[in-house]
Amino acid sequence: MIKANYILLLFFSLFVFSVFGCPAGGGKRYTISGKITDKNNGEALVGATIFIRELKTGGVSDLYGNYSLTLSEGDYTLVFSYIGYATREISIVLTSSISLPVELSPHQQQLNEIEVTSEKNDRNVVKPEMSAFRMDIKTIQKIPALMGEVDIIKAIQLLPGVQSVGEGSSGFSVRGGAPDQNLILLDEATVYNASHLMGFFSVFNNDAIRDVKLYKGDIPANYGGRLASVLDIRMNEGNSKKYEINGGIGIIASRLTIEGPIVKGRSSFIVSGRRTYADLFLPLSSNKALQNNKLYFYDFNAKINYRINDNNQIFLSGYFGRDVFRNNFARMNWGNETATFRWNHLFTKQLFSTFSFIYGNYRYFIGTPTGNNNSFEWSSNLRDLGIKGDFSYYLNTNNTVRFGAAATYHMFYPGKAQGIGDQTVVTEVKVPNNYAFESGIYGNNEQRIGDHVTLKYGLRLSMFQSVGPGTIFHFDSSYTAIDSSVYRAGIVYNTYLGWEPRLGLLYDFNTHHSVKASYSRTYQYLQLAQNSTVGTPLDIWFAASPNVKPQIADQVAMGYFRNFRHNTIETSVEVYYKWMNHVIDFKDFANLILNNKLEGEIRSGKGWSYGIEFLIRLNEEKINGWVSYTWSRAFRQINEINNGDPYPAPFDKPNNISVVLNYIISPRWSIGATWVYATGAPVTFPTGRAEIGGKIVPIYSDRNQYRYQDYHRLDLSVTFSGKQKPGRKFNWDLNFSVYNVYNRHNTWSINFMQDNENPNVTYAEKIYLFGIVPSVTFNFHFNNE
Amino acid sequence: MNKKTAYILFFFLLMNSCTEKVDVALDNTYTRLVVDGDISPDTAEYCIKLTKTADYFFNEPVPPVTNARVFLSDGETIIPLSETDSGISGIYATKPTFAGKPDRDYTLHINLSEEISGKSNFDATCKLNHVTPLDSIRAVFEPDWGSEGIWKIQLWAQEPGDEVNYYLFNLYRNGNLITDTITKKVVADDKFYNGSYMNGIDVLYLNNAHKWETIYPGDTITLQMSGITEEYYNFIMQVQQSGFSIPFFSGPPANVKGNISNGGVGFFAAYSNTFAKALVR
Repeated sequence: MIKANYILLLFFSLFVFSVFGCPAGGGKRYTISGKITDKNNGEALVGATIFIRELKTGGVSDLYGNYSLTLSEGDYTLVFSYIGYATREISIVLTSSISLPVELSPHQQQLNEIEVTSEKNDRNVVKPEMSAFRMDIKTIQKIPALMGEVDIIKAIQLLPGVQSVGEGSSGFSVRGGAPDQNLILLDEATVYNASHLMGFFSVFNNDAIRDVKLYKGDIPANYGGRLASVLDIRMNEGNSKKYEINGGIGIIASRLTIEGPIVKGRSSFIVSGRRTYADLFLPLSSNKALQNNKLYFYDFNAKINYRINDNNQIFLSGYFGRDVFRNNFARMNWGNETATFRWNHLFTKQLFSTFSFIYGNYRYFIGTPTGNNNSFEWSSNLRDLGIKGDFSYYLNTNNTVRFGAAATYHMFYPGKAQGIGDQTVVTEVKVPNNYAFESGIYGNNEQRIGDHVTLKYGLRLSMFQSVGPGTIFHFDSSYTAIDSSVYRAGIVYNTYLGWEPRLGLLYDFNTHHSVKASYSRTYQYLQLAQNSTVGTPLDIWFAASPNVKPQIADQVAMGYFRNFRHNTIETSVEVYYKWMNHVIDFKDFANLILNNKLEGEIRSGKGWSYGIEFLIRLNEEKINGWVSYTWSRAFRQINEINNGDPYPAPFDKPNNISVVLNYIISPRWSIGATWVYATGAPVTFPTGRAEIGGKIVPIYSDRNQYRYQDYHRLDLSVTFSGKQKPGRKFNWDLNFSVYNVYNRHNTWSINFMQDNENPNVTYAEKIYLFGIVPSVTFNFHFNNE
Repeated sequence: MNKKTAYILFFFLLMNSCTEKVDVALDNTYTRLVVDGDISPDTAEYCIKLTKTADYFFNEPVPPVTNARVFLSDGETIIPLSETDSGISGIYATKPTFAGKPDRDYTLHINLSEEISGKSNFDATCKLNHVTPLDSIRAVFEPDWGSEGIWKIQLWAQEPGDEVNYYLFNLYRNGNLITDTITKKVVADDKFYNGSYMNGIDVLYLNNAHKWETIYPGDTITLQMSGITEEYYNFIMQVQQSGFSIPFFSGPPANVKGNISNGGVGFFAAYSNTFAKALVR
């Protein structure tokens, strides 16, 4: 019954869009389409703008650099532009549909300079898209980094509306959401754990990444499955014209990337690897316990693409990363693997499509050496197999229709621990595996109405089915398991359906300023069993089930957008309010590890958050970056927690300032500075003491009634580049960076301790992670031309 | 066991972090009754200590609750407990001839002479669990662990496979309790060992750098293994973690959950003991 409805809806939605999308005028209409690429390396340019001078309208290239415009017969001047590239104007006489691939040349000045663009970069004003932020990797590489390791996630944490979950952590909270409410995609594959080394570094090797886009709200209908945000990360495609080697040597890690053509102009590859080597110095340590430790991570990215012809291109990309820890007592490793195969196909000049096949896996392993009576190993993983089809239909200059469908089969192996070796007396403990099928179909139209208004309206219908074999416990009102149901393989024993409307409205006064509004509803069916703030690699993801309802969020946002000085200064103000239902928390002292009755530890309720975000983004010739201020609040209310009273969410930090600036002093010298300020995180502190068994036991306040001290930190970096001449094959730069310049001891946590000498005396003790941390990184670039 | 492995890793990562004392302004809260005491089948005088809560930075001994009427019931008989130093100590004792009976539910009844935050009657019930016998124990020295070495206490015993068991371990050196505060005691469940023969499993570690709580060759050590309830096991775990928060794995702080009714804090525990001795070599 449900399935039939589902298919009906797909047809219904297509029908609706085609009616809405009827061409506005008469006369013969033709399509101009093609791919916009970088002239030097052949890489697709995403989000390049095409402006039609005569019509004062235009379009934008998609994720693969493709564009399509359908216009009436006539003479037109097309202006192609992209940040950092010289603008090109092409005049055409349109008497038939034509294919028009366009190559843009990067500006010739500084190699690693972010260029001022052309006058037509008004995308943030004239597109009906808000609460989104795109950064290319060059911008991210200029931000001073902890230990010199450039990090995408750390850059994302500097955006308005985004909070770090803790010093040095790769977790982030978007507009009051939880860290597991962010969908992190690497070439369309879900990355379940984006941390290396307990989060101090993220899994994304910046040499292998092309660009990053974060949606904090107004999430497009083609994405689903998380409440708070989508972080869409795209890997480099590789230079299709010449060979290049890029690399870097830092104090904790080194990187090497090789890219180049396989068949010139048709096919290219990129491979990139990174490994830390901090542990290589451990044998020098005077601490005996440390000498035998191994602790490192590595990752490996690879991608190839092949252009079969103008209408077909295929891509294969993959990621493999591991953290490894080993000493005399224990060994541990964890990491992600993803693989994506994509086929871009142009059905017609107006109908583009992408089909993706996706594999993802997150796993971890803990064990001890064999031969002891307590030798054991413990492993867990979560595996995804997915398929997606996405279509863009460029109906005419006023209507762009996107639709598609996606399905993912999730396999959960939550954990199995068992003894190993002959000596062991450890018995097997296993949490039963379970399986689920998550799918979605969507349709969306972006419609220009008149001279000033653009509407965006779409709908996503998501479905989540629990598939046998599976065991579901039934809980009484006090969350005690009373009995269980066991389902056979292949049986669908629970289904949730989610209607997710996504709406947007743009009114542009002119190309310099506009107002926008949006509404989106999102459903989330998978969540992380984690009740600590920062988390460990021992992630347990669990699915919606008969006991766990899907989380639902509704968000409304409004904003004013204005650009100055030929779009080199972008400013915006956005306000939002978000309601969340069935948000997850856990009972006090929850047991989340290897617990087959995990669902009995969950408490769910509602949440809400609201805020206002101010942003000034600079793209001037010498100076670029952004300054933002955010005021926001976030709350939760769950019946069995905090006596059912509302409490501040863990990442409720009302005031936030980020200043991220890069200044190019000369062709060889540039400096970067970052300053962040945030109200201290909410925390629960003792208000009384009880003495039990010789220990002073705290009597706590209501949840999150206190705050840590405010957080602030300044980072600086200086980059010195080797002499640059056109045609030079080898280029290098040296980056010095300092994290936490004024050595502020920002609170990571506060513990309440009992004095050893006088057990009646208690005191508070702060843990801070980093004082001032200087570092140096050497980067090089070699090409064969 | 699994936790221990994880802790080693996290400890390693925290090596570079630093701590410093800070001043924190804390509010007050209303006063609660605190109950702390236990009984066992071994014939002895058992004490229940009644105190009040205080401000967190009170930094003096917490005030005793005196002149209360305290009774202990095993479902058949009710016996009174008497305050050891009437009107002063707040410690209520059984007769020295008292011996609990395994597998009975014991209830402590408390009736205060002066109300605490409007309440004067409190109850606590705990089942006195039995325990499986210990076969033997051994102390093994690991000279390379820690700065001055670590003593491991290992045990041999059959873990019963037909029930879920929770254990409390205490250690005596020449008859003196080394695990003299609740934070030094060790609790364990049988999740990973249910039904196994424990062939020298480590149960307790003594840091040889802590001279006041280590052992020496020639000492006689006694391991006390007690069969406790799940509720008491959880209580001790919570007490041991309380006050401490490591953002990697600590959940939000919460009040420890004891078994005292009517908003009281603490635990009245009942459990059986088994002992094994060894000479340290």
